[in-house]
Formats: sequence, C-alpha cells, structure tokens
Amino acid sequence: MPETRDISPETQTENPVLSANRRTFLKGLAGAGAAISLTGTLARANGEIGFWAKDLSNDQLIEMYRTILRIRWHERTQADKMLTDPGYRGYNHFYAGQEAVATGVCAALNNKGKFEELDVVYSTHRPSGHAIAKGVDLKKMVAEMDFRATGLNRGYAAEMHISDKSVGFLGADGMIGPGLVMAAGSAFGFRARGSKQVSVVFGGDGTYATPAFHGTLNNAALLKLPFIYVLENNLYHQYAHYSYSCPMKDIADAARTYRIPGVVVDGQDVMQVYNAAREAVERARAGEGPTLIEAKTYRYYNHWGAPGAKAGELGAFGYDPLAITSFRPEREVRAWMTRDPVDISRNTLIRWGVVDQARATAIETAVRAEVADAFDWASRQPLCKPEDGLKNVFVEGSVPARQFG
Amino acid sequence: MARKSWMYAVLEAVQAEMRKDKSMVWLFELTPPVASTPGKPVINLEKEFGRIRVNNTGIDEMWMAGATLGCGLAGVKAVTYIPYQGNGMCFQMIQNHAGKLRHMTGGDAAMPIVFILEMTGQTPGFAGQHSDYEIDTYYAHIPGVKTVIPSTPADAKGMMVSAIRDPNPVVYLYPAGLRDMMEEVPDEQYTTPLDKAAIRTEGSDITIVGSGGGMPEVLKAATQLQGSGMKVETIDLRCFKPMDTETLVKSVQKTKRLLTVDQSYYTLCPGAEVIARVAENVDGARFKRIAFPDAPPPASPEMFLWMRPNADHIVKAASQLVG
Repeated sequence: MPETRDISPETQTENPVLSANRRTFLKGLAGAGAAISLTGTLARANGEIGFWAKDLSNDQLIEMYRTILRIRWHERTQADKMLTDPGYRGYNHFYAGQEAVATGVCAALNNKGKFEELDVVYSTHRPSGHAIAKGVDLKKMVAEMDFRATGLNRGYAAEMHISDKSVGFLGADGMIGPGLVMAAGSAFGFRARGSKQVSVVFGGDGTYATPAFHGTLNNAALLKLPFIYVLENNLYHQYAHYSYSCPMKDIADAARTYRIPGVVVDGQDVMQVYNAAREAVERARAGEGPTLIEAKTYRYYNHWGAPGAKAGELGAFGYDPLAITSFRPEREVRAWMTRDPVDISRNTLIRWGVVDQARATAIETAVRAEVADAFDWASRQPLCKPEDGLKNVFVEGSVPARQFG
Repeated sequence: MARKSWMYAVLEAVQAEMRKDKSMVWLFELTPPVASTPGKPVINLEKEFGRIRVNNTGIDEMWMAGATLGCGLAGVKAVTYIPYQGNGMCFQMIQNHAGKLRHMTGGDAAMPIVFILEMTGQTPGFAGQHSDYEIDTYYAHIPGVKTVIPSTPADAKGMMVSAIRDPNPVVYLYPAGLRDMMEEVPDEQYTTPLDKAAIRTEGSDITIVGSGGGMPEVLKAATQLQGSGMKVETIDLRCFKPMDTETLVKSVQKTKRLLTVDQSYYTLCPGAEVIARVAENVDGARFKRIAFPDAPPPASPEMFLWMRPNADHIVKAASQLVG
C-alpha cells in the first residue's frame, strides 16, 4: 500500500447535523485547525475538517471530474503519440496519476476575469496537468508542445515552459527552486497592490532540498503573504526517491519552522485536495498568510517521456534506462494505480448522486473526443517561421542574426 | 585501447583516480556515474566506491558545488557532475568562492576539485532554460578557475585526469551534444594539458577556431572547404582559461584570416576573446565571427536550427573571408 494517511473518502461520512449551519461551523473549525496546526500535529487532520467540496454545485463537481479526465486523456493520448508516431516531435514529463492535485487546487482559485484579479499559478517541469486545470486552451497547449506557430506561446516555449497569462497560468518552469521564489514574489506584489489575489506554486518533493524552499517559506511567513505552496510529493525527484534529499516522512512538517499551517492531504482524492486548497485560499485572502500543502501522490510514468510505457496502456513499468541506480519497483506503481484519481472522483460523484455510471461514462467519452480533436487540430497547425526566433527578446524589435557571420 | 564514448572515457579516468586516492569523492544528481561501452566492463562509481564517497544528492547545485569546494579546502579531492539544468545555480560558489580563495588566502588555499558542468544547446526542442550553451562565456570570465572544454572522448579522458590532479579548481565543461561520440581511447591513465589548444587540420589560407559542441560542424566545414581547394587551419580551443594565445597567434600570423565559431551568444562569445588576442598581436589580418544570436534558444526546431551556427554558415563565411 502506498504511504498515504487514512483520509480516503470512505472514512469521511456525511453528517446531516452539519448541513444547516455548515459554513459557520466550518469557519470555526478551520480557524481552530489553523491555530492548532502551529504545533504541526492537528494539521494532518485537515482533510477531515473541511467539507467544502460537498458545498459545490453539481456543475462544479462535474467540471472537476471533467478536468481530471481532460488531463488523463491528454497524457495518454500524447504518450501513445510518442510511442507510435515517429513523425511526432513533442514530449512531456507526464502528470498522469497526479490529476487530483492540480484539479482540486485550481478549482479553489479564481481563473477567469481581468489579469489584475486572477489568482496565479506557477508550475513545474511537469506542467500539463496544472495548465489544463487552470484553464488554458487545450488545443493551443497541444499545439505548443508540438512546436506550432499558433501554439500557446507561438512555438517559443514547448512543454517545460508553457504559460498563459490570460488565465493566470504564469508558467511552467524547467528549473527546481526559482519558481517558488517568484511565486512568493507575486504574492508580495499582490499585497502591495492591495488586491485579493492569491499566488500558488506547485513544486515537487525535490523542491524541499533547494535553498529556495527556505527562502520562500521564511519570507512568505514573515510577510504573511497570500501564498500557497502545493508540494506534490510523488516520491521521486527525477530518478531519486525523496528519502535521498529529505529526512522527514512528511515534508509538510517543515511548516512548523515557519509557524504556518502544514497540511498533508491525500493527493489522489480531488475532494480532499479541494478542501485543503479552499481553506488555504480563504486564509490567504483574509491576510492570514501562507499555507504549505503536501499532497501525497504518484506519477504513473517515468520522470521524462514514455520509457517503459506501451501504446494503449496506462502507466510505465519496469526498468527505465535513465534511472540506473534508483528506479521504481513495479509493485509500487501498481499499488498506487489501485487508488486512481479518476476512479476516486468518479466513485465519489456517483456515491453523492451527482452522476450515475452512464453519465460518468458519457462525460469521459466526450472528453476523449475533445482531446482527440485538440491533437488533430494541433497537427494541422503551421510550423514556425525560422526568423521569428530573433523576435520577442525585448519588447521592441528583433535582435540581429549572427549565425551567418 | 578500445572505442569508447565520451562519458565512458571520462568515468574511466575518474575510476582510476578514485582507486588510487581512497578519499576522493563524486557528487551527482540526475545523472548516475555509470557508463558502458562494447567489450568493456560497465563502470558504476556508486556501486564500486559506495554512497559515502559517491553521493546522489537532492536537486541543490549550490550544495553540490559548495560541498565539492569544501572537500577541496579540507584536502579531499572532489568532483561534481552538475547537469545542464543546474549549471547556473552553482555560479556563486564557483565565481565568488572557488575563483577567489587562493588569492584571498594569500596563496594558502589549494582546491584539487573539478566542477563538471554539462551544457546543452545541441538539442532542438528543449528551449530556453534547457538550452544553456552560453555558460562557456560565463565561466571562462572567472579568474582563479581553469575553464576547459574537451571536444573528443580522448581529450575528455586526458583532460579529466589533468583536472583531477591539478591543485586548482577546474570548470570542466561537458557539451552533452557529444554524448554519442565514439573513438579509440587508451585504457591507461594519461594527461592532456589544460592550457593547450589543438590544431585539428593544418593550412595557410584561413584559421577557423571553434570549441566543444561546435567542433563537429567546424570540422565538417573544414573538410568541405579543403575539398574545394582551400587550405584550412582548424583549431579546437579546448581551454578558455588559460587560453593558448601562442597557438592562435602563430596560426593567424600565417593565414592572416581568422574565423571564430561559437554556439554561445554573439556578445562576448569565446570567439570575441580569441579575435581580441590575435588582433593585439597580428597586423593586417581579417576577422569574422559566427555565433548564436543574442536571443534565448527557442523551442521550435524550425527557429532553433536556423539560428544555430552550422557547417554551411561556416563554409560561406570562410569563403567570403578568403575570397
């Protein structure tokens, strides 16, 4: 069994007593949770306190399920393309397995409206899930990953650097560490501007060992910034298990140092993630400062690309030639796949009576078609003009060609 | 003697030095110190020397470079292999510490350490942050640190042995685009100097100077030009600091024409330094430099490959300079 806390949806039962006055009751509890979490103990029970997800409308819940599916089928379609189409040049650091984290967090954010009002997200080198959850145009994202002139960033970015200012997705970042600091910097700017915006950074378990981890949380805590650090602990940074670079089992324990809430959440369950994110967002908007959320999750594919994967099948197994001294046991991958974020979210929606099995299947079929359309559209988009590489260095003009002498 | 890849040749050098020096360490992330080559035993430094000496760290290049430097200051030989994504993260440790400590201690500090800094720039599609060839200029600028860039497996081995045995900090640039290059490399340890350029072809019409990952295209262009009758002297710079001014000057005194080729950005590219040194010492010569434009490498292969200097560009520029 994967190392997750017992916070599965099965242990969380509906309490009818709460229904009438749920918000007030939860506000009190959330406040208590935040206060007690300074000791770093009760914070772990956070997922059991919040029932925010149950307050969402059916449409919102279905949209979360759709987002998870969109991410899943984007990953699977792209993996299949990489495995079967020799003419396809795109690549990805696949997010499959972690869908509930991006979806649950972004569902708690403001993703539409003027740039000055949007909550912002900084992403990682594994960005497709975060981008889709924040609401980037799927077609354009697929085109960008295929180096097309009409892609999200007009062919300049590709996978590890995609961004879309229009939905507050400030961008993937291929480096480990700097993104955290920049995200906290945006929160610093929001506070100065007096806006109610929140800045969120996604980072992996590998970010714990970077000097940026300390600088970011220390400053965010000192300045009470509207900042949320979503640490996706998928157990591996690049090819190394996180025990190589972190002495703690729960990285969220680090929050104690900064006297901020540190929350461990089941990253496979979108409702649990949403609850934690929602509380962190409210806290941030109220000027109460940052939160560190550690989502326990897992990636179904290897660090990079599709080694070990087979077309038409989910996940990658066995020996990754790039992970010579530290690779994942197949049993570990299989164990995590039994707690799949797609299944968990679908089962929750069925149990809550939001959809029935037939509707859930119909939604998935529609999403698969949408993803297939996106790849089809992208493959018909024009390639970049070579000389455009000299543009966009500065706001004005282009730089001179130097390659011809 | 056997055909060996770049990385096999390097790890063979390190393995032999680590067998000799029982305290020497290797720090890495991402890229395990493992290499194989047909007909030879697999080299796995982590397995052979254990995790006390061969350490897989977190993604923290400041630690990797700083720990390496700390080892050196304490008299322990150390090598770190920093992958291309992180080769700017460790800059402070190398620029403001490793480069200055010998001088600041009045000559007391000895730092028998090697920073292997991987650099890419050859891979279309990686884009921006994952295409950072320009670090050749950044690191070459630092006083107190020897900065070298081998371009063949045989040089890679000999220069690694020299770098480990050198009491000064050495930045050893590894152009990852040469990863697949194979050639005959001696099995025994040998040294290749850290202050000598290599003349790859001799000629009297033009001097073409390149380095590292740019060398294959330079040599391809030289072959084409020689085919059309031009006598091309090709120089592989190999060492940025100290730079082998003598070899460069002697060559251009003969050819009176100098073309430099860099995969690095145009402004302050290594070729700019080469041209300046030659211009100070040779009268009546003509100069030209080819480099990557002053723009971050874009993701699109269409844009990137058009911007990257290649053999065709070199042939045309050389023909104009000579003609």
